[in-house]
Amino acid sequence: MSRERIDRELAVLKEGGQDAVLLSGPPEVVIYKAVPTHGAQLGLQPASDVVVPVPSGYPASMIDLAGLPVGSPLLPHVRGGQNSQGIIQADGRQWQLASYHPHNGGGGPPWDQVKHGFHTYFDHLLSWLARLT
Amino acid sequence: MNASGSTPVIVRAAAPESEALLGVVFRRYPSREWVTFARFGWRDTPGGLVLTLAALDSPTPGDVDESVGNVAIDEAYTLRVALVAESHNLAVGVIHSHPAGARPLPSLTDDDMDRYYSDYFGGFAPGRPYVSLIVASDRDELYGSGRIFWKGEWHKVTRFVVQPTPVRIDYRRSGETRARGGERVARLRDAFGDEAAERLASATVAVIGASGTGSPAIEILARAGVGRLIVVDPDVFVASNLERIHGSMSDDVESGLYKVDIARRHILSINPECDVTAIRGALPQREVVDALVAADAIIGATDSQHSRLALSDIALRYLVPAIDCGVALEGGSGRITGQVIQLVRFLPADPCALCRRMTVPWRVAQELMSEDERKQRRAAAAAARERGNPADHYWHDVPQLNTVGYLTTTAGAMAAGYVVGWVTGRFVPPFSRLQMNLAAPFFDVTDVDEKPRPDCPCRRVRGMADQAIAEALITAPTHWPRPQTLGESIART
Repeated sequence: MSRERIDRELAVLKEGGQDAVLLSGPPEVVIYKAVPTHGAQLGLQPASDVVVPVPSGYPASMIDLAGLPVGSPLLPHVRGGQNSQGIIQADGRQWQLASYHPHNGGGGPPWDQVKHGFHTYFDHLLSWLARLT
Repeated sequence: MNASGSTPVIVRAAAPESEALLGVVFRRYPSREWVTFARFGWRDTPGGLVLTLAALDSPTPGDVDESVGNVAIDEAYTLRVALVAESHNLAVGVIHSHPAGARPLPSLTDDDMDRYYSDYFGGFAPGRPYVSLIVASDRDELYGSGRIFWKGEWHKVTRFVVQPTPVRIDYRRSGETRARGGERVARLRDAFGDEAAERLASATVAVIGASGTGSPAIEILARAGVGRLIVVDPDVFVASNLERIHGSMSDDVESGLYKVDIARRHILSINPECDVTAIRGALPQREVVDALVAADAIIGATDSQHSRLALSDIALRYLVPAIDCGVALEGGSGRITGQVIQLVRFLPADPCALCRRMTVPWRVAQELMSEDERKQRRAAAAAARERGNPADHYWHDVPQLNTVGYLTTTAGAMAAGYVVGWVTGRFVPPFSRLQMNLAAPFFDVTDVDEKPRPDCPCRRVRGMADQAIAEALITAPTHWPRPQTLGESIART
């Protein structure tokens, strides 16, 4: 894990007003705090914490997946939320990983480690939590 | 002023910065000195401190007194460099020349300068090394000396690794050479000269991967009299390796030996004086990088994408020239359509592996996953296929690339030959990315001269060592076993 790189990426988010923390684990994860959702239209919460695993060898490996707290009412409504990719423990909570792969054929651009990182992944998370079904 | 600190120091430099440096400090040669400030990256390893020339802060008119033969730096130049140092994280150094024929040893004036500057720059760049180097030319050879003030002590520079023009640290009288290697390298000495044999005997070469391609490279380097070999590989020897690993025996199949154990045994059977460091590990694990930054050159012989990224990163940030080898036997059902060898040169000034599009993101990711994650991904892919959904989100099946011993041996031998050329200064790889097909007329040789991507950080991190750690192309997965080093100090006499 490149702590220095991830710290720099999270600092970019912080400048824009978005909090996110890197937890060294295991598993190593980034937790994005209070990410806005479009849940209100379904009577669901307007924001949620989101967990994203730090991939092995990052940044050589692409960021993939996203998770919500186990039992989150948003899970049945987010893309891939009903196709669990495992449960992980982080920050004293349990999280369910959804089958969400924006850089791996899931609708986003192919992973480019020069351009992409945990700061740009936030845009995908915003989209993920906005397109509820 | 004595450099009484016990930390060995290696200073590395590479083109284009090394050539620019010589252009600056020798601008009034041969009779008068000149000087420049410079910035260095560094890495603190168990084996010593490694400094890498990252940039020059060359003097502008008026910064240095032209009217005197020795170096007289204007205070404004020093202040400018010190203020700039507050905006970067690199070590600050001063490099000056001594007149042709003079030994590059510090004078009393140099002692005064270093005492003053080490204290002065310590105020602007606290915690960073202060570097003072002297270079001189004599009879077409470059000589250097240096000392570093770091952690309250002066440490002597013990080795220069400069590409493309070697810099010697041991000043010699005219005609003095040391024949090393005896009759074993007599033919090589006849062809390349005594001095080349001496350079090989003083050189450190690393080979990443001790299998089909790495093992012949290792053998050739050992036979050529390379003084120190670093061999890195994480894998245990298995029966199918007998077809291609040089030095392996049928008895090794049952022994549970690692490939590096076999490589070490083979090297010492060829040249018992060779200093062998065998590491069960992989790039870019910290212990492996620590060893590699002391090498004169590296051969990458793993044929894996993540290893290519790591090799490219080491070449760039730590200024270690490298050659990556790949081979592929194309065809099937008994019909061979291609026998491809690829050699990629990674000089510090060359584009990185990303600029050259040598990697595919999903493939790198799959190489770096833990075995548990791979199992989970394969299961998810199988489940997706059962549902009639695409499975590529989870896992891509990668066909095993076939290779055979004569092909891997050819590739490894070619890479070793180019490293011998590099280390001796006799020739350089005349290609950027060589591809050849042994099954095609005239081998269908191509050379792809790729350009760097304008937005790639590789253009701005050259020589920045650990000070550009945030720009590392790859990090070692935490699930990999910790490296083990064997025979760390098999001393050569």
